[in-house]
Amino acid sequence: MTKTANMAATDSEAGDPLVGGDSVIRIECLHKFFGDNEVLCDINMQVKQKEVLCVIGPSGSGKSTLLRCIVFLEEYDRGRIYIEGKLLGFREAGGRLVRDSERNVSRCRRNVGMVFQQFNLWPHMTALGNVTEALVGVKRMPRAAANEIGSAVLTKVGLADKLDAYPSRLSGGQQQRVAIARALAMEPHVMLFDEPTSALDPELVGEVLQVMKQLANEGMTMVVVTHEMGFAAEVADRVIFMDFGQIVEEGTAADIFRVAQSSRLKQFLDTWRARNTNLPE
Amino acid sequence: MGLDFTFLPEYAPFLLKGAGIALLVSGVAISLGIIFGLSLCFVVISKNRVLSVLGRIYQSLFRGTPILVQLLVIYYSLPVLGIDAPPLIAAMAALTMNASAFQAEIYRGGFMAIPKGQIEAARVLGIGIWRTRVRILIPQMMRSVIPPLVNDSVSILKNSSLISVIAVVDLMRVSQQIAAVTFRPAEIYIVAGAMYLMMNLVLAWVGRISERRFGRHL
Amino acid sequence: MSFDFNLYVQYGPTLMAGLGFTVYVCALAALIGIVVGMVVAILQGLPVPPLRWVCRGYIEVIRGTPILVQLFIIYYGGPSFGLVLDAETVGIWGLGIYCGAYFAEVFRAGFESVPKGQTEAARLVGLSSARIIFRIKLPQMLILIIPPSINTLIMTIKESAILSIITVPEITKMTIQMVNETYAVFEPYIALAFLYWVIIEIVSRVGRAVEARISYL
Repeated sequence: MTKTANMAATDSEAGDPLVGGDSVIRIECLHKFFGDNEVLCDINMQVKQKEVLCVIGPSGSGKSTLLRCIVFLEEYDRGRIYIEGKLLGFREAGGRLVRDSERNVSRCRRNVGMVFQQFNLWPHMTALGNVTEALVGVKRMPRAAANEIGSAVLTKVGLADKLDAYPSRLSGGQQQRVAIARALAMEPHVMLFDEPTSALDPELVGEVLQVMKQLANEGMTMVVVTHEMGFAAEVADRVIFMDFGQIVEEGTAADIFRVAQSSRLKQFLDTWRARNTNLPE
Repeated sequence: MGLDFTFLPEYAPFLLKGAGIALLVSGVAISLGIIFGLSLCFVVISKNRVLSVLGRIYQSLFRGTPILVQLLVIYYSLPVLGIDAPPLIAAMAALTMNASAFQAEIYRGGFMAIPKGQIEAARVLGIGIWRTRVRILIPQMMRSVIPPLVNDSVSILKNSSLISVIAVVDLMRVSQQIAAVTFRPAEIYIVAGAMYLMMNLVLAWVGRISERRFGRHL
Repeated sequence: MSFDFNLYVQYGPTLMAGLGFTVYVCALAALIGIVVGMVVAILQGLPVPPLRWVCRGYIEVIRGTPILVQLFIIYYGGPSFGLVLDAETVGIWGLGIYCGAYFAEVFRAGFESVPKGQTEAARLVGLSSARIIFRIKLPQMLILIIPPSINTLIMTIKESAILSIITVPEITKMTIQMVNETYAVFEPYIALAFLYWVIIEIVSRVGRAVEARISYL
């Protein structure tokens, strides 16, 4: 059965971050404005451990903004985001919420990894260099240890032979896999994917989705914003459909793709089906 | 009334010494200019409004007034401020402050060309702002700014000719002294010009080589 | 440390005269520079190798040596060539030839920047060569040329301060005179820096306005 967003809100007790038990990410009454434009409107959701959550919806529905709020790349205006029980980006000061220091924000999102649509690799470093930079710079590992972990994780994504390659010499799919490896190397508890395959040529999409499926099978908690409905249908535990900054429908993959309740979701999936043919029935 | 260069060999050592001073002052200004220019660049692009505005004012002052005026102001202000510095130091200070303002603009261009996503990725990974600047931004900024840097270096070398005005015995000042003694101003200044030209041609050549070496990967 | 405003009252007229002279010198020099630059840029574009070399040589030598050296050669060395000119003439022509080399580069870049596709499309549609140059190349070149030309103009204004060294009575010379006579340092030089800064800001703003007007992109 699908639930609509408001029902989820009444289940939780506002203000108590630990309700919901093992939720890795918990979002309450989230609002975000760009000027006068409300891009996120009353978002309430949780992500539990080992859960794979896919976020689908038309362009401009706020999906990316939502993800960016979770890592505080965008500062949210109202509501709360909890990462593993800790309030993100703000702290209580005299009964109000005050913007937290960059250091605390960093500490709070330490266990969150993110993969971007544009990969965002650093072009002047090799694949291994990209992957180990944070290990050396943040975790203060010695170079040798970092290189070991880096090689292992690059091997895991299938790029064992590309350790010393520069991003300019790698295909889009390979670059994105390096990006995934870079995030994985820090041993995150949850991985966020912001349209990871949207910037790739169609032939290269598969290799990235393969890596993501593997991660899901290994029990990684994942939130994936994607247009790849096949992937969502196959791998997601839960799917959220967003439109105009709101969660319109959410439920299990089976529910969403088979028994779409809201007309907007039906419309969205029909448009998608008209253009693609591999949505399982 | 022809041109007579025969006096040259006798005065060559002095000319070379003068050129050496010009190169010394320019070299210091270029090197320190890179360091201060980078720092100023980060001040100007900083999110701190006050810092950013102050940085822009500094840039506007040093890029929007003649270097000669800056030289004179700094040279005559130092004693008033209680700093007892020889003309050579005042000259280096003025040229460096001037160079920093121009270089900061060049680096700002380099910085703007770096996709913001790279900084975001670093932030999410927990890499602090200073490490991000040193390991990720500066290496890329340096590579894309070599041609404007070389042009700037040529300007700095040419600007150094003005330090003769505040009594530094550089190539220009030596030339003036030799002209006063030999009464052959045309010849001596043509030689001085040729020397500056040669130094600048070498600079441009160094620039082309650096661009070839550092321009890869991007 | 006191700031003596009376000095400004006293030297106001002198400084203003200097300012006027600076504007006069820069305007003439810029004019010379633009004409020289245009000529050189056009000559450089002609398929006559010796001409190209001469033009290239002029540009490289003038841009590769300090303007002070060039002025000294003409002013102090001129008599050796039979060229006896007063400071003002040397200043204006020296500055004009100097910025001419920079304008030449700006114009050359402008010529080369008009996308080839435009000329090809025009030819295909049947426009004559002359019409192509005047109706398609030139107008677009104008837009491309304005920002770097404004920068060159600003550079010319700043370099004009050097004319003071060969005793041209422009604003810097007048200020130095004021310093020598009054032994004051702050008041004169601050005023000087301020005046240059104002002139250059005005030129920048005007440049941006002209750019906005002409640009139809």
